[in-house]
Amino acid sequence: MAIYASSVQDLIDELGRLPGVGPKSAQRIAFHLLKLSRDDALRLARAITEAKDRVAWCSRCFNISEGELCGICADDRRDATVVCVVEEPRDLVAVEKTQEFRGRYHVLQGAISPIEGVGPDQLRVKELLTRIEPEGIAEVILCTNPNIEGEATAMYLGRLLKPLGLRVTRIASGLPVGGDLEYADELTLGRALEGRRDIEG
Amino acid sequence: MRLRRLWLTDFRGYPSADVTLDDGLTVVVGPNGHGKTNLLEAVGYLATLASFRGAPTDALIRVGADRAVVRGEAEREGRALLLEAELVAGGRNRAQINRQPLRRARDLLGALQVSVFAPDDLALVKGGPAERRTYLDDALVALHPRHDQLRSDLDKILRQRTALLKQAGGRLTPEIELTLDVFDAKLARVGDELAAARRGLVDRLLPVLGRAYDRVARAQAEVTAVYDPPWAADGLAAALVAARRDDLRRAVTTIGPHRDDLDLAIGGLPARTHASQGEQRSLALALRLSVHEVVSEHTGTPPVMLLDDVFSELDPDRSDALLHSLPAGQTLLSTAGALPAGAVPGRVLRVHEGTVRAD
Repeated sequence: MAIYASSVQDLIDELGRLPGVGPKSAQRIAFHLLKLSRDDALRLARAITEAKDRVAWCSRCFNISEGELCGICADDRRDATVVCVVEEPRDLVAVEKTQEFRGRYHVLQGAISPIEGVGPDQLRVKELLTRIEPEGIAEVILCTNPNIEGEATAMYLGRLLKPLGLRVTRIASGLPVGGDLEYADELTLGRALEGRRDIEG
Repeated sequence: MRLRRLWLTDFRGYPSADVTLDDGLTVVVGPNGHGKTNLLEAVGYLATLASFRGAPTDALIRVGADRAVVRGEAEREGRALLLEAELVAGGRNRAQINRQPLRRARDLLGALQVSVFAPDDLALVKGGPAERRTYLDDALVALHPRHDQLRSDLDKILRQRTALLKQAGGRLTPEIELTLDVFDAKLARVGDELAAARRGLVDRLLPVLGRAYDRVARAQAEVTAVYDPPWAADGLAAALVAARRDDLRRAVTTIGPHRDDLDLAIGGLPARTHASQGEQRSLALALRLSVHEVVSEHTGTPPVMLLDDVFSELDPDRSDALLHSLPAGQTLLSTAGALPAGAVPGRVLRVHEGTVRAD
């Protein structure tokens, strides 16, 4: 005999498929939702439906967008000659928060990971290549994660882009600002030494 | 380096335990299956964040509990260190040093060093190449905790590469070829670095190994250990190019540091196939002793020695030889039987059904 009514089990199963939600959390959220008033629960359901209906991918950079172009691509004050390549929209948000970058983005929607069946064909790689000429892109900043998959993706793109004669850069790895050297892990400190620069002034 | 005290909560069969250790020799006695080895295993866990018996984390947590804690009070160069590791079933393990949470549990590596001697060490000589690679790589991590990263990078790259080779199904599209080039470049870099580290280690071990063998075997013999990967001459990048067709056909990475071996020989003959059982045991002990010595010298303080029931497998002569070739330092020894003659414990711990009592 099943412990839960099938509709409740369906809800738990669906919640359990969300990232970072394990079986126990799924169960907790499901019971919380059931306890809510009908209006409150339906507001969540509506929010999901609405977001799903209205939000699509930006046709240029594949960021999430409510229109044909996302807010950044539609902003003509942004520098079209520099493109920052990230794995996911949330990485774009992280870079955007720095307020240091005034160019455009390109969201790959993942990183190369054969184990998960993700190769260049599953990513927005071709779309990046077709942007180079028409947009007059002079520099591509590879801003993928500093792990095996992100590094491999950056190297892959580097090998594709370099022959096109534009500047291809990789973001640096290094020390957190405001931190102490003695607390830095060896690997990060090693990378920071490797990527040292001449002092200014 | 000294471990003064050890506390366990829900680790293996121990609901809770509070153990004080001697600065010299502490002996753990008790019936089989009551948790002697687990006490040593807990100390090992604080040092390496892994069971020296190869058990997964979940197996280390007491049945019915969802987390276990191992806490140790250590002393290093006159400084007190409180080391804590929390094992979470199906979750992320946490660690603290002096009550300061570490960003990653792996950052605990290197705070405490141990040298483990166990009956299945014989596999170092008799077993397959994987045993000897693990031996070398564990020693590298003991010398430089950053080697742990190298090791896990190698593992991740190999798994990605294997998945890619399987996907290719023997055929190279331009996308797959370029992706393979990228993973090969990563693999070559990590592989060359690991091989150089292993070679450096073997150079340091070799003179020590010969002396350790002579002491344990009580005989003079020419012992050699050679780490010379077939791909080393031209580098891994070139070897991967040469092996690509084969790799594609078999959908595995046929060459690299994950396939290497450490060739051991006694008197010019391969130890695995030509040495007697006694010689093999002596060589296994000597391999462990020499890493202990090299790590002691490198870190300036001898690791805590964990001797898990080693005397049961040795004849009296060899037991005596091992006992007398043990370097000075703190030792934790478990035994089901009698101690070899000449062992003078500073402390005896009696283990019974998950409780520990000092004599």
